Amino acid sequence: MSQAEHPFAALLAEYVAECLPLAEDVAERVVALERGWRDGTDTGDLARPLKGTLHTIKGNSAMMGLVGLQTLAHRLEDLWGALLGDQPGRDAGVGLLVRGAGLLADLVRATATAPPADDVAAAFIEEVDAYLAAEAGAREPAREERRSPDRRATDRRQTRAVGEIGADGAVTTIRVESQRLDALLETFGEVMIAQAGLRDAIRQRGRRSGGDPAQLERAMLGLDRTLKRLEQDLMETRLLPISTVFTRFTRLVRDLAHGEGKEVRLEVAGGETRLDKTVIDRLGEPLVHLLTNAVIHGIETPDERTARGKPAEATITLRAVQRSDRVILTVTDDGRGLDPDAILRKARALGHAPAHESPSRAEIFALAFLPGLSTRDTVSHLSGRGVGLDVVASSIRALSGNVAVGSEPGRGTTFSLRLPLTVAVLRALLVEVGTERYAVPLADVAETVRVAPGMLHQVVRQGMMTWRGEVIPVLDGGRLLGGTASGARACCVVLRSAGERHRGLLVDALLGHQEVVVKALDPALGRPPAVAAATILGDGRVACILDSGRVADGWIEPVATLAS
Amino acid sequence: MSGTFLVIDDSRLHHQMYQLIFRRSELAGSTLLHAYNGQEGYDLFRAHPELRLVCLDLNMPVMNGLEFLERRRAEGLHLHIPVVLVTTESTAEDEQRGLEAGAWGYLCKPFQPEQLIALVERASRLSQHVSQP
Repeated sequence: MSQAEHPFAALLAEYVAECLPLAEDVAERVVALERGWRDGTDTGDLARPLKGTLHTIKGNSAMMGLVGLQTLAHRLEDLWGALLGDQPGRDAGVGLLVRGAGLLADLVRATATAPPADDVAAAFIEEVDAYLAAEAGAREPAREERRSPDRRATDRRQTRAVGEIGADGAVTTIRVESQRLDALLETFGEVMIAQAGLRDAIRQRGRRSGGDPAQLERAMLGLDRTLKRLEQDLMETRLLPISTVFTRFTRLVRDLAHGEGKEVRLEVAGGETRLDKTVIDRLGEPLVHLLTNAVIHGIETPDERTARGKPAEATITLRAVQRSDRVILTVTDDGRGLDPDAILRKARALGHAPAHESPSRAEIFALAFLPGLSTRDTVSHLSGRGVGLDVVASSIRALSGNVAVGSEPGRGTTFSLRLPLTVAVLRALLVEVGTERYAVPLADVAETVRVAPGMLHQVVRQGMMTWRGEVIPVLDGGRLLGGTASGARACCVVLRSAGERHRGLLVDALLGHQEVVVKALDPALGRPPAVAAATILGDGRVACILDSGRVADGWIEPVATLAS
Repeated sequence: MSGTFLVIDDSRLHHQMYQLIFRRSELAGSTLLHAYNGQEGYDLFRAHPELRLVCLDLNMPVMNGLEFLERRRAEGLHLHIPVVLVTTESTAEDEQRGLEAGAWGYLCKPFQPEQLIALVERASRLSQHVSQP
């Protein structure tokens, strides 16, 4: 049965909301178990819930008709059962379990976008079957060993997949505690009362002319205050614990370290710290970058570490703390640290020389975030820092946050990300005019129309178009936004306005819609016509957010210059 | 065939599935009561002697399905209400224990909506039989 006609197809989002935390919990537990078994520590508490959790995932997947996930969960249950006795050759099975648990979490996460095929985990299941068969019959440790180089290659491939899913595996369902909803309703009640007060004040004014202007003012202020509170309460429902993004990293770090032949432990603290859903959705990628850099470039090999008198096993710490309206995230490693001289040399070579002759260490480290500075072939072999710190910095800036780095050569490196607790977001249609991109609030878009030859007319220097039986004025995006007008724009965005006529805005291309983080314009800029605010796009480019109201309400003179 | 039904399951997903099933034409107009563990379920069960059927999950925190059934049998509470035990891949042994503890029927995950509807039909024929001797 295909998912579309499955009786419970409508519940896919709920399935992911329920099963993803379970699958991530399993993935985290098995990594910790692997370590515990190796070190010989007591793993009873870690192991106990595993079977039940896998069983629940299997049952839920089965009900949803997600055969691939059901089979995978089932096989992991079998594998888990086989690993409980401490037999020789268990290490290979444990590695398989860790990979399988990771695969399960990835597949559940991907289900939010598209349910996986029934045979999605077939190759992995074959491996499990082969392992179980070998376990049951004569033990063939030699065979497992022969296979291990291949396995390492697979481990790396999977690691890459984690990053990809981390980037777009956005959370689409939020669970809200009922107390928060109660608080919201209560504030809403206050809004109603404030509105009643305002209505009374207005009525009084109407009755006896002159009335008491102070009363009206007071009522208005009261309403303002309560609405602000309501906004605050609503924003709080968007807060999610940061552990939703942290949980995938235990496995990422483990897999990366295995691939590099290093020993790394990831310690996580402050997972309960809450952050806006939008911030959390966009935090995965920069954190994957930082952790990957730390494991691959920051951490030394076990031999190197021992030679320097450090423990062979390195530690990376991921920590979140809330400080008033900001959350500070730190990624700390105890690796080789940054080399300030190498960074300074490279910066000078690129023409980013600091203003004065003897810059402080902090000033030098700040240079590491410049584009082109932290590429693999330049700084990394000297200082242990890899690709794309400028990418990390720009994605954090896009969330109205900032990044800093501190480092002690030979001792380690700490990246600190300061992030706002909440951000204002807007769903917007991205359009292209000339070489610029603009965001049009989606709520203001009535329709988008492909411009056909002869569709546009010029009436007394004003561009016009017939749209759904209505003649609407049309403006050229280039002229409106300060670029050059063009006679040949391909698309028209029809903007709606309250009670007024619609207006058309000619643009070159429609780039799709997305949630953008609204950033206020610096008051020093004044208020550019037709622009309400700005946003930073995923690629680091700035896009202006159009003030559709001002476009539609006839602020504009510029006449669409149209080719006949 | 409508009436009041009780679902006891710790999975929100399953509660939504039951809602979808009970919204179908055969069962439209039914009232569905929800409990998220055995203890909560038992309290609702006690308060609603008019229940037509109970769907009881086997694995739950606080009080699991078997404990629910055993307590109900010990107290002799509402023995006329059919309780269906819902499990994933149970063994014959599990089924035996469930039936001994007083489960009226068994539903094995994954089940189709039709299977549950058939059980509800069977249960309502039974209750007609009992109330009109």
